[in-house]
Amino acid sequence: MSPSHRSPVRRRIIAGAAAVAASLALASCAPAPDSGDDGTADEACVRMVTNSGGLEDRSFNQSSWEGLQASEDEYPVSAEAIVSTGETDLAPNVQQAVDSGCELIVTVGWELAEPTLDQAAKNPDVAFAIVDETVEADNVKPVVFDTAQAAYLAGYLAAGVSKTGVVATFGGGNQPPVTLFMDGFVDGVAKYNEVHGTQVRALGWDKAAQDGAFTGDFEDVNKGKTLTESFIDQGADVILPVAGQVGEGAAAAALERGGVSIIWVDSDGFESLAANYRPVILTSVLKNTQDAMVEIVGAVLDDAFTNEPFVGTLENGGVEIAPYHDLAALVTPALDGEIEGLRQAIIAGEIVIESPSAPR
Amino acid sequence: MTTTAERPQLSPGATSLDTTVVTSWKAPIAFGIFTLIALGLAVFAPRAGDTTYRWSQESDVIQVPDLVVPAQQALWAVVALLAVATLSSILRVRSKRRIPLWLVVVFAILFMFGFLTWAGAGSSLPMIGLLFGSLSLAVPLIFGSLAGVIGERAGVVNIAIEGQLLAGAFTAAVVASVTGQPWLGLIAAMVAGMLVGMVLAVFSIKYFVDQIIVGVVLNVLVTGLTSFFFSQVLAPNAATLNTPPRFDRFPIPLLGDIPIIGPVFFRQTVIVYLMYIAVALVFFGLFYTRWGLRLRAVGEHPQAADTVGINVNRTRFWNVALAGAIAGLGGTFYTIGSGIAFNKEMTAGAGFIALAAVIFGQWDPIKATLAALLFGFASNLQNTLSVIGSPVPSEFMLMLPYVVTIFAVAGFVGRSRAPAADGKPYIKS
Repeated sequence: MSPSHRSPVRRRIIAGAAAVAASLALASCAPAPDSGDDGTADEACVRMVTNSGGLEDRSFNQSSWEGLQASEDEYPVSAEAIVSTGETDLAPNVQQAVDSGCELIVTVGWELAEPTLDQAAKNPDVAFAIVDETVEADNVKPVVFDTAQAAYLAGYLAAGVSKTGVVATFGGGNQPPVTLFMDGFVDGVAKYNEVHGTQVRALGWDKAAQDGAFTGDFEDVNKGKTLTESFIDQGADVILPVAGQVGEGAAAAALERGGVSIIWVDSDGFESLAANYRPVILTSVLKNTQDAMVEIVGAVLDDAFTNEPFVGTLENGGVEIAPYHDLAALVTPALDGEIEGLRQAIIAGEIVIESPSAPR
Repeated sequence: MTTTAERPQLSPGATSLDTTVVTSWKAPIAFGIFTLIALGLAVFAPRAGDTTYRWSQESDVIQVPDLVVPAQQALWAVVALLAVATLSSILRVRSKRRIPLWLVVVFAILFMFGFLTWAGAGSSLPMIGLLFGSLSLAVPLIFGSLAGVIGERAGVVNIAIEGQLLAGAFTAAVVASVTGQPWLGLIAAMVAGMLVGMVLAVFSIKYFVDQIIVGVVLNVLVTGLTSFFFSQVLAPNAATLNTPPRFDRFPIPLLGDIPIIGPVFFRQTVIVYLMYIAVALVFFGLFYTRWGLRLRAVGEHPQAADTVGINVNRTRFWNVALAGAIAGLGGTFYTIGSGIAFNKEMTAGAGFIALAAVIFGQWDPIKATLAALLFGFASNLQNTLSVIGSPVPSEFMLMLPYVVTIFAVAGFVGRSRAPAADGKPYIKS
């Protein structure tokens, strides 16, 4: 009796697992977008491999790709992107990029570190650049951003505009590129408290314990929304989501509840999100991958490529906070002045934001 | 009278068989483990301070006072009560008596209270927000599990719930953005879910393809199609095609003012009210109408149903299509339910959790709904605890919903029996 009863259950679980595996494997068959003209024989070419975020992630895939497109305008070079849709097609996509015979291979995201190092060792004559991850190899240039510097300014700003005295941040997963923002943010809040003698609390991240609030993935917008509602229930009125598209759930919750503003990450949320979110976007912590990409392409063409990491900072414009746009009225001139002062202090090296996740 | 007198003569062992109660040590062992966990927390990780349970929001008409409990004392009290419950369960099993369901429920609530009080020491727990968020996270799961129940009761395994949710979310976003009418988006989503259901039905019923394989392929197909259209069409034209309006919150008068229950259940969007109706209708329809009887007949014993003149394959086809429409409706919650633009793979595996809820809920719409709510509660509990800065590591907290589900399925549900002809195509001979 009992085996025949249980077998459908078991089959289903296997099928569920198979479904996940198959969707990862088969979805990778999606065609790479064609950027128009293929690299001709005399023209240099660049291949970019995305992580599973895809080209429209409003994050480093998108900004790296925009940078490569900008370099197409600037240099005689053609760029193409190979879109990964899951963990399983990362390595084959890097292989495919190498097989194209291009001079520069750009890979995006920490997930690609291993395949990139692997191919870099096999192809010492090809230049590689990896965005958002530090690796060491003779022909791989890490492109990383000290986002804590800009997030520090954002934290200071958040504490300054908060009316409830509670601000919050959450991440998609406990990974260094994510927690770097969170470290900078809570330090900025602490700095505000130090300067003004206030007690603004930053929820969602415990810097000492290096642990905090996470949604566990970068896809489930619904979860980002409920998590944000939990923060709002605790009184938070400025929230920094560091979770890719999950952040849109935070913006939706802020819009619905009212009186809450959002600090976007990577790109200027005021421009990259739908227009109806504009009333809740206070500022954004920007990563300027575009200019870095143009610079690297130029270096490869001029035979000036090195493996020295590119570290985006406030000083070189690699990281920045976006204008306040519609919420500029919340930011008093005095607060804006203090933030400008902090920016100069960070650039001058008077303030150093410590983080175990900071790029070395 | 006479029958009881004759019984021993007919079968000598009958009386002893009648009184046999199958007892299992599963419950006492589980109780013991949880009691030890609570004891461990009290001894090895004591927490100072009070835990405040907030039962009202500022906007409520009737305010329920906050409940403030001193964390450490409350935890010890809970440990004592849990120990009593464990002992009584051991005694009951030893005397060959069943563990009543209420004991399990009381135990679970006590443990949860103790854990929450411990984890929330020094902070306040907004119970309305916790429960409201639980319901929000459960809505798509409930729609998905209703779709699963209908499909499987009719004899077709619906692995494609994930695809139907995703198709619904996508279509709702696009149609609602283009027309500006969330209602049209809702209808379009039901049609989209139904189409996915129909493909499943055609292949599994007419062409006898293995239902699980078709379902898996459909999930992959819908994921691929929606991702493709998202990158190629929606992303470049986001302002016109992917800026869906949302259903506004519609508080129900009177019901919405009931303390605690009102803000959680009756200040929701239309989609959530539709969910209440859907659960009630599916439950009533399945067990009290001709439609439900026929549906269950073709899923349990299609040959018998055929003999009495029910067209098995047609019944299955339309019910699988209906299941698809319900799952498609659930998908709308992701986009027009909260005014969020469609994003790639935004359902994030909810269809598979819904499928688990079907089995966990023993193919019963009400129990499956409760299972989905439990999962939603566990997910939002994790949210709330991470927000107040609980002492539990975040990686462990993220496992919580799955751990709770596994425990619940393995420990308390026991044997679940699928409809007899579930997953088997009916080939008329």
